[in-house]
Amino acid sequence: MAVPSSDRELKKGSAELLILSLVEGRARHGYEISKLIESRSQGMLRFHVASLYPLLYRLEARGWVQGRWVEKAGQRRRRYYRLTPEGRKVLAAQRHGWRQFAEAVRRITGIEYA
Amino acid sequence: MPDWKQIVRQRLAGSGLDGAREAEIVDEMAQHLEDRYMELRARVSEAEAQRMALEEIASDRLIEDLIAARRAAVQPAPLGAPAPRAGYLSGLKHDLKTALRAIRQKPAFSMAVIGMLALGIAGNAAIFSIFNGLFLKPLPFRDPERLLDLDETAPKWNLKFVGISDPDCYNWRKGNSTFDGIACFDTADFNLSGLGSARRVHGAKVTYDLLDVLGLKPALGRNFLAEEDRPGGARVVLVGYELWRQQFNGERAILGRILQLDKQAYTVVGVLPREAAFPGRAQLWVPLQLDQNKREGFYMNGVGRLKRGVTVERARANLLSVHKATAMVKEETSPILMPLRDRYLGDFRPISNALLGAVAIVLLIACVNIAALMLVRGSARAREIAIRTAIGASRGRIIRQLFTENLLLAGIAAVLGVVLGNACLKAMISLMPEDMPRWISFQMDVRFALFCTLVTGAAAVLFGLAPTVQASGVDMRSCLQDAAPRTSLSRGRRYTLSALVVCEIGLALILLISAGLLVEAFRNVLHVDPGFRPEKVITFRVSLPNVKYEKPEQRLAFFENLVERVRVLPGVQAAGAASAPPLGGHWGNFFTAEGAPPLGPNGQNPVVLQVVVTPGYFDAIGITFLAGRPFDARDGNPKGPYVVTVNESFSKRYWPKPADAVGKRIRHAWDEKKEWMTIIGVTRDTKHYGLDQEMRPSVSFSEREIPDWDSMSVVLRSAINPQMLIAPARDVLRQMDPDLPMYDVRTMTERLDQSLWARRAYSWLFAAFAMVAVVLAAAGVYGVVSFAVSQRTHEIGIRMALGARPQQVLREVLTGGMILVFIGTLLGLAGALLTARFLETLLFGVSSRDPLIYAAVILGVAGVGLAANFVPARRASAVDPMRALRTE
Repeated sequence: MAVPSSDRELKKGSAELLILSLVEGRARHGYEISKLIESRSQGMLRFHVASLYPLLYRLEARGWVQGRWVEKAGQRRRRYYRLTPEGRKVLAAQRHGWRQFAEAVRRITGIEYA
Repeated sequence: MPDWKQIVRQRLAGSGLDGAREAEIVDEMAQHLEDRYMELRARVSEAEAQRMALEEIASDRLIEDLIAARRAAVQPAPLGAPAPRAGYLSGLKHDLKTALRAIRQKPAFSMAVIGMLALGIAGNAAIFSIFNGLFLKPLPFRDPERLLDLDETAPKWNLKFVGISDPDCYNWRKGNSTFDGIACFDTADFNLSGLGSARRVHGAKVTYDLLDVLGLKPALGRNFLAEEDRPGGARVVLVGYELWRQQFNGERAILGRILQLDKQAYTVVGVLPREAAFPGRAQLWVPLQLDQNKREGFYMNGVGRLKRGVTVERARANLLSVHKATAMVKEETSPILMPLRDRYLGDFRPISNALLGAVAIVLLIACVNIAALMLVRGSARAREIAIRTAIGASRGRIIRQLFTENLLLAGIAAVLGVVLGNACLKAMISLMPEDMPRWISFQMDVRFALFCTLVTGAAAVLFGLAPTVQASGVDMRSCLQDAAPRTSLSRGRRYTLSALVVCEIGLALILLISAGLLVEAFRNVLHVDPGFRPEKVITFRVSLPNVKYEKPEQRLAFFENLVERVRVLPGVQAAGAASAPPLGGHWGNFFTAEGAPPLGPNGQNPVVLQVVVTPGYFDAIGITFLAGRPFDARDGNPKGPYVVTVNESFSKRYWPKPADAVGKRIRHAWDEKKEWMTIIGVTRDTKHYGLDQEMRPSVSFSEREIPDWDSMSVVLRSAINPQMLIAPARDVLRQMDPDLPMYDVRTMTERLDQSLWARRAYSWLFAAFAMVAVVLAAAGVYGVVSFAVSQRTHEIGIRMALGARPQQVLREVLTGGMILVFIGTLLGLAGALLTARFLETLLFGVSSRDPLIYAAVILGVAGVGLAANFVPARRASAVDPMRALRTE
């Protein structure tokens, strides 16, 4: 993993939130999601295939995202994931929870976050 | 570009996902990896890009995670909670699936391992089960270690066991102080009538306390009473368990019933327990009603229960002192005591030991071969293991996988081996003689089968793990390159392989020589001239109950009539009857010739077999005369001389030539008042006791001289298939007396065959084991040399490119292999010289150092070794230098 080991737990807990956030606006395929996580975290966070896909499938199994094979002209078919209404509720709840959690951490440690 | 789909597919092998789902995942992940690879390719080298892309799926929990994802709960996992783990069981399932596929991928290898293991397990389990039944399993009696077989021995009579006489039995029972009890018994067969058609049942006359001495209780009813066991006591019978179940449906109402045994009424007082199928095949017991004053001879067996804490030695001394004080023939007989098992099964001990040794060798060879195969395959799998390591499998994971794989192989082999072993066991039991004691039972010994499985399985698993040891030192990247794997064997492992091959050859040689000696001995036995012509001869036995055929004249008339009537049946060439045809029992006596010097105190007085025959018997059985003539109508006239015939062995004791014996007179040695008998003919010796047994002197009487004989074997020589005579002969007997059963119906060839069952069985078993050993050893040599050659392809290519000629390569590879064969042969030879001595008692007319057999076996092994070496050597010499170098 690219993430230092002390961050692993943090990452595990936040992974669902990250993915749900990324597919909120539009449907994306797996490679795109992993690239976005890497680039938007400026290389701090990276998801390998071995962790990304099990996670995607788990979200799908829970009904929070839905994957669909899409074939576009001139491209190979890819599987695009989009947020379901149920996923939208979960995302809202998780965002709220995360905010509270981060706030609590901040109060204790005095660390500011963006 | 690498085939990503293939890589992902391999990675997901055995995940248990359904096919369609797995295909989707493969598509999706492969797409991702390809994208990643293409992206990396723009920046780094091909190999680096490949390595980095592979890292993407480097997780030893990928499959567990995928499976867990499928089962994800609808509830969100709390923050920071550990991800659900797949259970140990699903991991095991995955291991098993992967293992099964690995086994299927290499069918030849897997079959070889399974076959070798199964063979080793089957042979061992079957033979051990026999050995266990014969020698290890406790007898089904109470405290069986305290039971001793008792008999009398008379070395001067050339007899180890003569039987116990009535007075000796009486005195031993009364006078000893070292036994809780001594019981005597005699086998006695009866015609059981009044229950449908007449049948012959095996039985025993026993002292009333036999059941107590054995430590058993009747299954039903009561034991005999002491007063029933006195001369003139009540006629009572204890019915055997089997007979009770079969003939009387196991009903309690059998108590008090009357059975007709030899036309006499016996009251059933009880049923014997299942274990009391003793002695031999006895189906019922009647009281012996011992008469201490009867001085008829030695005929009984005894069994004694030692008092607690008494040794066999003390008991022997005690019985000997009783015997010396009271015995019927003090000077020449003495009591002989031994553990019950030794008496009945002692003959089988050398055979069983030898077979057990053979089986152990085959098992050892199988283990050695498996070890070699595993080592070789381990090297061939180095690349596969490197790939697995590269995509994230931990060392522990790989060990677990290989462990499962080998365990699965061993498991399949074990099941197969036990099934096969059971079949072998059944086949061997069916070969056993009928007179095998019934209280011996053979069952597949599951614990031992398990033990064999463990031993062979351990070999497979241990040596199967070798590749993981190697994998830790492998340069992963070089292994991953598409070039042929060039990981060569370490020096240590090469020596191990060579040592294994040497062992195999040595062990196979030992077995081959043993088998050669035994098969040669068996052939010698088969070619022994039995002294009569067994072909197309059938025999059956008829016994007349004394109640119905009271007078000797009645019995004589019956048998003469019977022989006359079967003689004229269509297809019969000759007919006769004898009290004991060859392989049909022994009745001994002592004789002396007129004018012979009296026996000194230490003179040998070998027992003489006496047979009562009807005229025509010698012709029917095919015994020829060296001098004189057989009995005919002239003989047996009360006014004429008392005539007998003797065999060559008897004649030799007194006269130099058979012709000299004719006209001479002999008589029973123990009574000077007995009548002199004139010898009218000298017959050739016959192998009366079995083809591999010694000859004894014998005297034959005409039935007319001793007409009180009540049981005879009728012998028919046939012009047609002798089996065809059974039905018409039975009709004749039924017309003469419907209550008489015809029993022990067998052709003479069958009798000879059955008498040789043990020798035949173990000789061929040995041969089979030896063949298996040779095939295994050849496979081992071939495998190891082939592997060595494949390892050296590159080196050989270089040398050939530098000018080495194919013949040189051929010679060099051959020499290398043959040195192993040579060392193995030498070691095996030394081993064989040592072990063959243990076979000596089983060899018949063969020296345990028979040079011809040794030479043949050595040549054979060398030939097989050469062939096994030649194929890979040939392959080495045919290496194309260009191709060999290109694989760089």
